[in-house]
Amino acid sequence: MSQAESTAQRDADPAASPQGVALGYEAQPDRANERVWIPIGGSHRVPCLSEFRRKSLVSAVLEVNPGPQARLVLLGVDVDGLRPAGRAALRERIAYIPADGGLLSNLNAWENMVLPIGFHHPRQLSGVEAQVKGLLEGLAVDPRTLLAKLPERMTSYEKKLTAYVRIALEKPDLVLAEEEPGGMDPAERAAATRFPAVYLERCPAGTYVQLEVASGH
Amino acid sequence: MIGVYREFEGCMRLLGHVLRRLPVLALPPVAESLTRQIYFTGASATAGIVLRGAFIGTFIIAYVIDVLDANAALAIKILVWVVLREIGPLIAAVLVIQRSGTAVTTELALMQISGEVASLRRMRIDPRDYLVVPRVLGIAVSTAALTFFVQVIAVGGGILLSSLSIEASLGELVSEFFILASPVDFVYAMIKSFLFGAAIALVCCYHGLHPPGTSINAVPKAAINGVTQSTLLVLLLNVVFAYLVFGQVLFGLVTAKL
Repeated sequence: MSQAESTAQRDADPAASPQGVALGYEAQPDRANERVWIPIGGSHRVPCLSEFRRKSLVSAVLEVNPGPQARLVLLGVDVDGLRPAGRAALRERIAYIPADGGLLSNLNAWENMVLPIGFHHPRQLSGVEAQVKGLLEGLAVDPRTLLAKLPERMTSYEKKLTAYVRIALEKPDLVLAEEEPGGMDPAERAAATRFPAVYLERCPAGTYVQLEVASGH
Repeated sequence: MIGVYREFEGCMRLLGHVLRRLPVLALPPVAESLTRQIYFTGASATAGIVLRGAFIGTFIIAYVIDVLDANAALAIKILVWVVLREIGPLIAAVLVIQRSGTAVTTELALMQISGEVASLRRMRIDPRDYLVVPRVLGIAVSTAALTFFVQVIAVGGGILLSSLSIEASLGELVSEFFILASPVDFVYAMIKSFLFGAAIALVCCYHGLHPPGTSINAVPKAAINGVTQSTLLVLLLNVVFAYLVFGQVLFGLVTAKL
């Protein structure tokens, strides 16, 4: 799977079959510039027209509900005809990384990383420690310096890194990530660009979508 | 009035959720949260309760002996009736409201306002499973444990003081206590305290998860609501328990030895 990033095609034909589509979103049928149509696999950047549009897209995906007059395709499935159980099953295959990492402030980095897996797959917890070490070492981070830190003592990069490890452990089929927050130095920003590649190494069939608010809006 | 009804309904729904979802306590993150809650509410509060308990017991005995010119038997009877049945659970409940009630409401309200509760939902974790279930059980268990601790300290302190101030040996007072105190008193106090703790936790969790606004000003308001309403609920529950017990006495089901 190519790890090269591609910008999502906004003008793709939304009437096309959902087969092979990781994320397809059309807020209103008559507004072609608000369409997102991303194939399964690889890493993609999606420039959103505004913060409001980005939030609408994230909300539609996380609730597996496009809202009125909108169309949503997730992982090859048009969610329109789905029953609640089908939507829930689809939702389990999607992970989201907010710009600030979305960490819980009273848990340290390790506890934040293993929280979802401890909840949804408690039997997998035994092998998680080695996986976390492997992931952090792959990103050139010393686990001893990070794992005991509370979010209030973390840098923006460390928060993002913790959130990234958290979703990488779950191995979702689709990752929706908000653009990096400010406060990172160039080295950290460069390191953060390696997240999609490491995720795709773990989940070769997965899709990593980075949402950006287009400049000038 | 509608607001009160809505809050009552919300707390009842939360209680229903806790009872239905008790099995989540087997999940490692929830079990860890339960352990932390018991440590915070129970273990770390014991130091503060030692002094309070000892003061209460000695104060009651000193007062009874001085005002009523009581003998050892009456002093011990009052100690048993007041401390074991009423003061012990109430002191523990007040301490839990002061420490854990405010902490839980503030923490949850901050989590709600800062988006951490939404973050849990995005991880497909029901915030009530992770935040409410372990807190309710942890605070209920800790309140019962603290009550037992208060009872032991207060009765022990009271008996010790009595032996110094009235003409009765420590041995006599202790044996008098074991004659008068019944295991039913302890069970009654434990059940009552467990329910006090659960009520405090439910009300505080409800107000923490439903702060009256989205600004930081909503946090102290939520804490005030949580503390005042949980105090009222504890007093109301105490009245209900007293009615049940003394109602039974009135119907002759329990014979009070006066």
